[in-house]
This record gives sequence, structure tokens and C-alpha cells, in this order.
Amino acid sequence: MNRPKNLTPLLFLLPALILMVPFVIYPVFKTIYLSFFLDGKFVGLENYREVLLSPDIVNLDRFPTKSPPWGALIHNIVWIAIHLPSTVFLGLGMAILLRREEVKGSSIIKSIVFLGMVIPMIVGGLIIRFLFEEGAGVVPAVFKALGIERLAITWTAYPETALLSAILGSIWIWTGFSMLMYSAGLASIPKEYYEAALIDGANRFQLFRNVTWPLLKPITIVVVAMTLLWDLKIFDIVYVATGGGPGGASMVLALQMWDYFARALNYNYAAVVAVLLTVLTFIPALWLLRRRE
Amino acid sequence: MPRRKGVSLFLIGVLVFAIVASGCISPGEESPTSTTPSTSPTTTPSPTETTPAEKVTLKVIGPWSGAELDAFMEVIKEFEAQHPNIKVEYKTYRAEDLSTILPLQFESGDTPADVIAMWGWFIAEMGQKGHLMKLNDVINPEEYVPGILDTVTVNGDIYGAPFTAAAKPGFWYRKSFFQKHGLKPPQTWDEFVALLDQIKQIEGIKAPIVSGDSVGWPLSDVTEHFILTFGGKELQLKLINGEVKWEDPEVKDIFEQRLVPLLEAGYFSDPIEWTSAVDLWWKGDYALYFMGTWITGMVEDPNDLGLISLPGVKAMVLAPDYFMVPKYTEHPKEALELAKFLATEGQRVHVGTKSGKLATWKKVSIDDYWEPMKDVAEVVANVESAPDLDDSVGGEWQKTFWDQLKLLWVQPDRLDEVLSTLDAKFPKGG
Repeated sequence: MNRPKNLTPLLFLLPALILMVPFVIYPVFKTIYLSFFLDGKFVGLENYREVLLSPDIVNLDRFPTKSPPWGALIHNIVWIAIHLPSTVFLGLGMAILLRREEVKGSSIIKSIVFLGMVIPMIVGGLIIRFLFEEGAGVVPAVFKALGIERLAITWTAYPETALLSAILGSIWIWTGFSMLMYSAGLASIPKEYYEAALIDGANRFQLFRNVTWPLLKPITIVVVAMTLLWDLKIFDIVYVATGGGPGGASMVLALQMWDYFARALNYNYAAVVAVLLTVLTFIPALWLLRRRE
Repeated sequence: MPRRKGVSLFLIGVLVFAIVASGCISPGEESPTSTTPSTSPTTTPSPTETTPAEKVTLKVIGPWSGAELDAFMEVIKEFEAQHPNIKVEYKTYRAEDLSTILPLQFESGDTPADVIAMWGWFIAEMGQKGHLMKLNDVINPEEYVPGILDTVTVNGDIYGAPFTAAAKPGFWYRKSFFQKHGLKPPQTWDEFVALLDQIKQIEGIKAPIVSGDSVGWPLSDVTEHFILTFGGKELQLKLINGEVKWEDPEVKDIFEQRLVPLLEAGYFSDPIEWTSAVDLWWKGDYALYFMGTWITGMVEDPNDLGLISLPGVKAMVLAPDYFMVPKYTEHPKEALELAKFLATEGQRVHVGTKSGKLATWKKVSIDDYWEPMKDVAEVVANVESAPDLDDSVGGEWQKTFWDQLKLLWVQPDRLDEVLSTLDAKFPKGG
């Protein structure tokens, strides 16, 4: 039974590979292949040129001086710019606040915050839609009570606020994930580290800066990478809450891919957006892998 | 170690790609216009394929649920009573969902049901690709409202069986509300605008007209009513066929002179989820609601409903539901039998229920209708019918149309941009 050493891992991988070849690897290459064809003819990079230069993807006529639509790619970037830091720091802050034993009902509050993560995204999208609807939603009602009539509107109906409403709603949905990860991370930090720092005269800020934050770095890497991936793939919330409108003002890449596929029945353009999304998601995925190693 | 790292990187990379890309794999063809060779019959099969004693179960897919489904099931019950050897199982699927499922299933030679209700343009496209049975032997075009089969006919081959239709006749109001506030239906455009102004002054009214929102179709229905009133059926047909641009002065004028001033004056509400809008309108937050005839089945008292069409309306949209029979059905004979029934006698049954629909089969008479729909049926019978604009064009443009109208509704000053986008997105050669 002298089996070459490098064959053993391959044998273990074989069952997974048998499934992956038809269901993952073949579709991947087929998608790339499709992205170079149009109406059955090879067109090289023409599909990429058409899609990437389309105002559906990047609309420089309106960005950044005018209100959306700015194009799906820019909307995704805006989404990341607002959503990523918000969820990371909100999750971290809540995890720290609710860690303390003296906070009564902290587990209930955590459960409520985490609720956004456990509900189906479609339901989340519906909640966002009604949350921001004039006459039904709490957000316009609050602004109305504050006398800010400009924002006491149906946010999902206006190009200036549609994207923002979806992003703000997604912060509520995703903060639970960030909070849960940080809570687990905080629980793993030995108390002795804090005691030693306190003996050395560290104040609360120094405790956070020199003990908590560095020890939470691996968690932060995971949270940032996962949030980036989630932001790039965002689909269901937008599909339900705004449908990408009005006038494309909240369109995102995944929904644009869906539209090319399901509405235009243009599988080739859909494949182009899929490849683009994959390239974009590869970046945080590879970064995550390297940092973890 | 480097080799292991490389393998794991590759595998994870492949997984990430697959998650993103899995939704857009074509069913094995490079082009959406390519066709699959036909292996099944595409015309009416021989009636000897099943014996009369053999019990067959047909699967039917349609978009209806709730009260609409109850009305449709009355039709199915009647069909089953007349065909004791056929049992019908119904499943609800939205057309939006079917549009993603069906192309893939058809390409693999499969179908989720024997008879499927779907958009007309989609049926024409699938028929053209060879996935559907031709219905020329079961549908007699002369028995239908003129033009109703155009959407589902390709090169003389009929691929869709027309069922009942919803009309989009105008703005609905509560008679009791009008009586209470001394309002009268207008006879001219000026009276219509004056009426809106009068309603706006009523205490507690949020806006004279509530704008229904869904994926966008309620707004497109309103817009088409304006086009049909001030441009007529000819203009609607030219827009459908791409013979007139949206930026054409004739079209632009309708927006600039008629619709946009009403939007700017705040006579229309912001788009509100359309079923919620029914409740708000009914309880008096709004006075008028533009909706299809199915609204008669959605309100507490249909006898309290009144209808205002724009004065001088020249035609009304008649939007039928269509059924198709995929050629991959295991029971072609029975499926065609059902399609034929739905397109003929089934319509008579359906208009007698609370469906709020109108017959497209000319052999149905006013007496067959549910009482509250008799008046509407007469009104619609007296004007020309026109095909639904966005349903006829379909595809990506349909969604663009809905989406751009949502924009126009809240920012009417962006009319030029909206019309320009509609032209830019219109199907090439369409």
C-alpha cells in the first residue's frame, strides 16, 4: 500500500471535486465563455465594452454632481462606503456596551439586534420598504415630528433617498452579524490582560486602544471581508424595497445582472456582470485568506 | 505548503465565483435567440392518444391567489365537470418568477405545468423558439375581439389562448364620497382639472388621486390612458411598434400639456403600494384611483363604485391573460382541450364571477356578467380597445418604462430625461 504522498490529499478532495466539476467549475467557465459571445457569435471584449460603458453601470454624467442614478457599480461602492464602517463600528460598539454584566437584558437586546440577520432578506426588504413609506413608516414619521418635511416622504420613491433607504435598512440587518462576531471575540480576551493594564494605570480609552482593538483584529478582518462580500452581492433587499428605482437610482450590480438575465433575456450581458462581480468579490476574498494565513 | 495554499486559494476562488455566477448560466446556448430542435408535436395531436376512461391530471400555473384564484377555480370546476376524465391541479407563480424558470426548463425539454398563464410577449418569444404548441386548430381568430391575438401570433401561428381581460377604463371613485361632497363627474378636460382642484380643497384629503405602486405597472396604466385619450389608439400602436419615438413632439406634448401639469400641481400622490392604496382610497384619504376593472372584486361594496374616464377618451386598454401549452407536456390532447375551454366557454364562467374581468371571446353576452361589471362591460364595449403598451413591448424595456414613470411621478421636471431614456432603451428594430 505504498501510495505516493501527494496523492492522499487528492483522494480526500475527490468526492467534493466530483460534485464541483459539473455544478461549480463547468458553470464558472461557461459563464466566462458566454461573456465573450453575442447572438452565438464570438465578439471578444465587445460585451464588456458595451456593459461597462453603459450608464446602467457607471453614469458619469450624473455622478457626483447630480442625484442618482449614478450607475450600479458606483451604487455598490457608495453602499460599501456607508454600510461597511457603519456596521463594523455599530457592531463593535454594541458588543462592547452589551458585554458588561451590569447591563440588564443585554441578551434580549442582542437577540433583537440579531433578528435582522435571521429573517429572510426578502422580508427584510419588505420591512425596509414600509419603514420608509410615508404614512406607514417610522422614519418619515420621525422627520415629520421633527418638522423636517423634506424627509417626511416615501424614501423609496425619490431618487435622492431610495439608495440611502436601502443602505440604512441593510445596516440594521447586518449589524447583528458584526455584533455577534465581536461579542464572541470579546469573550475570548482573557480578563488578566485588562487587569494587568489597569495596574499599569491605563484608562478606558487606552484599554480599548492597546488591548481590545489589537486582540479583535482577526475578528475585524473577518467582519470587514464578509461585509464587503455581502455588499457586493446585495440583491434581495434592493429587489424588494426599491426594485432598483426610481429611474435606476438604487440599482446595484447583482440586480443589473438579474435584469439582463431575466428581463432582457440577454445571458451574455448577464455573464459579463457576473464576471465583473466575481473579480470584485475575489479581492476581499483573497485578502481575507491571506490575512488569516 | 505553497502547493496547499494554491489549491485552497483555487477552490475558494471557484466557490466565490460560483455563488455569484450561478444565477446567470445559460441553458446551454450562446444566444437567447437560438432554438431547440422540435421533438414533440406542435399541432393538435390525435384524439386517440388517451382512452376516455384514463384519468389524467393536468397541472396549470397562473398568477392568481386569494379572491382572484377563487374566481378562476370556478372556471376549473366547470371544466372538470364537463371533462370527468381530467383533474386539474393549480399552482400560483408570478409571471416575473416564471420568466426566469421557464426558459431554462424549456431548453432542457421540460415544463413545470401543462397549461401556463404568462405575458403575451413572452409567449410569442417562446413560441418563436419552438417551445410551444401551436393553437391554430383550437382558436378561431374571428370569434375574438380584434387585435387580441396579435401579441401571441408569430408568422400566422397562434401560441397563446386568450382568456378574459382586464380593462383599464379610468379613475374609480366612491359614489357616496362624491354625493357627500357635491362632486360631479366631469365632461371636459377643464372640468376634470377643476374637479381635481375642488377635491384638493376637501379637508382630510391627502391628494385627489392616489398613485398605486407595484413594480410600476399602475403608473404605466395611467400614462397609457392619457396617450389613448389625447393621441388615440393609432399613437399607442405606433409607440408599441417603435414607429414613433417617445421624444416625438406629439407624444411629448401629451406629457407636457396634460400629465406633467397634474403631477406638478400635486394632484397625484407619491406612489403607494397598490393594495394599500385601495384601502386608503376607500376610507377617503384620496378621492380617485386609476385601476383596472379587477378593482370591482377588491372593494367592500362594488355598487358604490363610479368610473371617470378622461373626457374624450378614444380607446381603452384591454389586457387579456394568455395561456400557453408547452410542447413538453405529457398530456397534449387534454392540455389543448383545457386551453380551448379557457379561451371560450371558460370566459363565460369567469366573467360571471367576482373576477372583475371582461370577455375577449365575442360569444359572451352582457347577461353573462357579474352584476356590478355589466355597466363597465357596456362602457368598454362602446370604445375601441387597445393593447397594453408595456405588456406588448415587454422585456427589459417594460421594466425601464415602469421605473422611469416612478421617477417622473416624483420629479416631473425630469420629463426630457425620462423620454430620452425610454427611447434609448427601446428594443432595437422594435
